[in-house]
Amino acid sequence: MARQSHRKQTPDFHDKYGNAVSANGATFCVAGWAYTATQIGLEWNLSPVGRAAPKGWRDQ
Amino acid sequence: MEPLSHECGSSKAYTFATHPSAASTHLPLERSDKTQGVSSPVCLKEGLTSSSVLRANLQDTLDGIQETRVAFWLPLSRTMSFRAAWSLVLRKGGLGMRGIHSPGGTAHGKEKMPPYTNYHAQRSYPMPDEPFCTELNAEQQALKEKEKGSWTQLSHAEKVALYRLQFHETFTEMNRRSNEWKTVMGCVFFFFGFTGLLIWWQRVYVFPKKPITLMDEWKAQQLQRILDMKGNPVQGLASRWDYERKEWKK
Repeated sequence: MARQSHRKQTPDFHDKYGNAVSANGATFCVAGWAYTATQIGLEWNLSPVGRAAPKGWRDQ
Repeated sequence: MEPLSHECGSSKAYTFATHPSAASTHLPLERSDKTQGVSSPVCLKEGLTSSSVLRANLQDTLDGIQETRVAFWLPLSRTMSFRAAWSLVLRKGGLGMRGIHSPGGTAHGKEKMPPYTNYHAQRSYPMPDEPFCTELNAEQQALKEKEKGSWTQLSHAEKVALYRLQFHETFTEMNRRSNEWKTVMGCVFFFFGFTGLLIWWQRVYVFPKKPITLMDEWKAQQLQRILDMKGNPVQGLASRWDYERKEWKK
């Protein structure tokens, strides 16, 4: 039989708030980066394959 | 007990430590000396290094002097001041200070004031030098006296009580898992998200104007030029373009 704890352990900070902290942190991270990556005009220079339509250039 | 000789004759407290920040409180050096403000010339007379200024209460004074002499290879005695202990740790150098606040931290623990001790146990250092409880009430002292006799006389409850005096937690309790990783990951995510805000600020206040070559119109014309030249026609860009239908290959 596995060893057992001999005292009742009161919940510590991580037991009480660990789930909330990690969920809120992850949400903040995802939301923040989704906004940063798409809305503020950063140039990612992704590949044109499948995305961009070529445009005539010879007359310039 | 040898008489004290004050260097300057006043009863103000002096500390003779070379460590400037090791100024400690007053040290009663004789058991009969109840006054405050006694300097520590006895330390110098005993030949101790002046960097280990003692912070001892009355009954621990002699023990403290004795212990400090051999303190260099013992874990830090609680009678050493925090500054002296810290300088000792730095001198020894080998002790890792990482994780001192975590359950997997180093064995010597933190230097604390009474009534806390230097007790820190972990799986790799299961029996610290000092017992967990050092200040015992009368009942506990009676139990310690009984412990000196035959252990078959002890009841189960008494054995458990003795264990709890000596050790803070059982192995199971000491090694229990925790949910600390959730807090850690939450903070990691938070700061990572905060970095995104920093980059936003950078974009607004630091980045220069986007060069013309990165504008959509220019990139579209550049793409047409590459397709006209059939750049990388085997596996690269032009190989992905369907020239008959004038669209990207599916």
